[in-house]
Amino acid sequence: MTDSLAIHTSGLTKSYGQFLAVDSLNLAVPRNRITAFLGPNGAGKSTTIKMLLGMIQPTNGDAAVLGHAISNPTECSRLRERIAYVAEDKPLYGYMTVEQLIRFTSRFYSDWRPDQAQRLLIAYRLPVHKKVRSLSKGMRTKLALLLAFARRPELLILDEPSEGLDPVGIEELLVELVSQAAAGVTVFFSSHQLAEVERVADHVCILNHGRLRLSAPIDDLRQSYRRIDFVFEAVPSARELIVPGIERIRSSGHQITVLTSRNADEVIRRARDLSAVSVEVSPVPLREIFLETVKETPGS
Amino acid sequence: MLWYKAWLETRGRFLACLITLTLFCFIFVHHAQEIAFRGDGPLRPGGLADYYRLLFVNQQFLVIMWVVSAVLLGMGGLVREKALGISTFTLSLPVSRTRLFGVRVTLGIFQAAALAILPWCAVFLASMSAGLPIRLSQVSFYVFLLLGGGLSYFAMAIFISSFVEGEYTAPAISFGVVLLTAIAFDAWLRPFSLWRLIAGDLSIDRRTYLLSPEFPWLGVSSSLAATLLMLLLALQRIRKRDF
Amino acid sequence: MRSRPLVPNRLLYYTVPIQRYSMLFQKLNPELGQPLYLQLMQQIQHAAETGILRDGDQLPGIRTLAEELVVSPNTIVKAYTELEHCGVLELRQGLGAFVKTGRRTRSIADRVQLARRRFRNVIDNLRAENLRDDEIQRAFEAELLIAAEASRKK
Repeated sequence: MTDSLAIHTSGLTKSYGQFLAVDSLNLAVPRNRITAFLGPNGAGKSTTIKMLLGMIQPTNGDAAVLGHAISNPTECSRLRERIAYVAEDKPLYGYMTVEQLIRFTSRFYSDWRPDQAQRLLIAYRLPVHKKVRSLSKGMRTKLALLLAFARRPELLILDEPSEGLDPVGIEELLVELVSQAAAGVTVFFSSHQLAEVERVADHVCILNHGRLRLSAPIDDLRQSYRRIDFVFEAVPSARELIVPGIERIRSSGHQITVLTSRNADEVIRRARDLSAVSVEVSPVPLREIFLETVKETPGS
Repeated sequence: MLWYKAWLETRGRFLACLITLTLFCFIFVHHAQEIAFRGDGPLRPGGLADYYRLLFVNQQFLVIMWVVSAVLLGMGGLVREKALGISTFTLSLPVSRTRLFGVRVTLGIFQAAALAILPWCAVFLASMSAGLPIRLSQVSFYVFLLLGGGLSYFAMAIFISSFVEGEYTAPAISFGVVLLTAIAFDAWLRPFSLWRLIAGDLSIDRRTYLLSPEFPWLGVSSSLAATLLMLLLALQRIRKRDF
Repeated sequence: MRSRPLVPNRLLYYTVPIQRYSMLFQKLNPELGQPLYLQLMQQIQHAAETGILRDGDQLPGIRTLAEELVVSPNTIVKAYTELEHCGVLELRQGLGAFVKTGRRTRSIADRVQLARRRFRNVIDNLRAENLRDDEIQRAFEAELLIAAEASRKK
């Protein structure tokens, strides 16, 4: 298992009876990068993360986090000292006050930064003496994020961190993420806010039905995915236009729209050979790439 | 910090039980003493046996309340946290599940011990202040019986709370087990009844109402062995389970 | 009645400090189908060519710029590294990124400076002939447009 990867899984599988929550996952998350972990609800993202942290036992396969195999519980426990994790529903002890919870958490980690904690406490305007169970959803999210951001771990795992935050909160979150990354922290986060993901991610992984559908540097996706709108005098059949890389073809009247993940030039050349009258090339936003990727049926 | 967390989680239950048990024992013994030994004291013929019978009766009441408390103290843990949705936070801490379990169980045992010792201290004081001949050996006997044998109930509660998820289902099942075992043993296996053991029923001399000088090592050891077994099984379950 | 300052003096201490960057950065647009680091490179190169950035100017640190633009620090690193390869930047260990305008970019900036001096002379002359500023501007723009059309038809 390579040490240059923050997370490396090999055939990682989790099955509940007949149902495969995670199906032979081969994940390679690079160190010192911001990696986005995308997928529709129920795709297996949270299950994967819980397996990496030792909360769920894999049915099959291996995984290594920060170079250490997760099969040993003692190793796993020591590994968690170098990882900061914010879970999907921001679980916190309701019976503690904000201050008690911060003090409690800080004692477990040698990478705790009290000055960071203080700064975030003020910036997030958290009521120090209030019990956690009486906080609003947004406050709870911010508190959960504070407990992770007030540290300098090697790996930061965030599961839907922007849930419960307003646009200002989301912006603050992204700045904080970027700040952590600049300090050398590897960031691995899942999010449904694709517009935000597009701004800060270096690498994108898309999961669906427990399987990895796409894993690529975001710049590669930006440069190779294209939407091309053609107008033809004599409309060819879709079959004639097929070139490897084409994900989707739609035609209506004299128009054909092609979504391709690569070989855009080849597609244009083919269309010109078929006497295309007009060619318009546009970039494809991450949202469309995502929707196209997860549209596949489970069997394909 | 895990001790602090475990304390925060159980202090309400613990303190409520402690106050209840201690106050009850004190008031019961004090009041009974007032009625029974006003004036001529326990030195009248048969008075001493009456006095020691009072202590024996106190233990009967104490056992009931203590077992209920022990079951309540045994509730909680990671499985309950899962039902509440917070187990993810605890399990993301850099501590092993064994350590989490160990802290919870150890604190629970200390609390159970306090619940056995402090009420009897109150009785000791109540009798001392009334000038009655309370013997430390008798008090220690009652305390060791209660703890040595009673910890099985605590371990049973820990065991059940490691398997059963519901916040109210776990205590309900635990109390059910306590009741059923008490009834079953009483009906068919009277000499082996744990309840009678810890209540002192198997060691009491019915004439003097003193606990016989031989401590029932076999009974208490088997109970402690069962305690250990149940705790180990509970720990195994916690370690292997998906959260 | 003594006049009160519009803004209490102590508040002036909390205003945002003037940015000490050598240039103002535009937010990068992820929807252009172009890697963000290329967009950043273009911004910096353009600034160097038009004289906004001068030789020896210091660019913001990786973390500062990443937080300002809210992009991955890796984007900044890639942009700075590529610009160093192109010879536009000089990355000094522990100190930061410094602009290094080459001969060509310097000559463009110089030519722009020269052009502006020539414009100043023409404008002074036209003003001396009693032409208003807006008339001068309209005449200039008309000529520019004709010149653009002519070059397109060629």
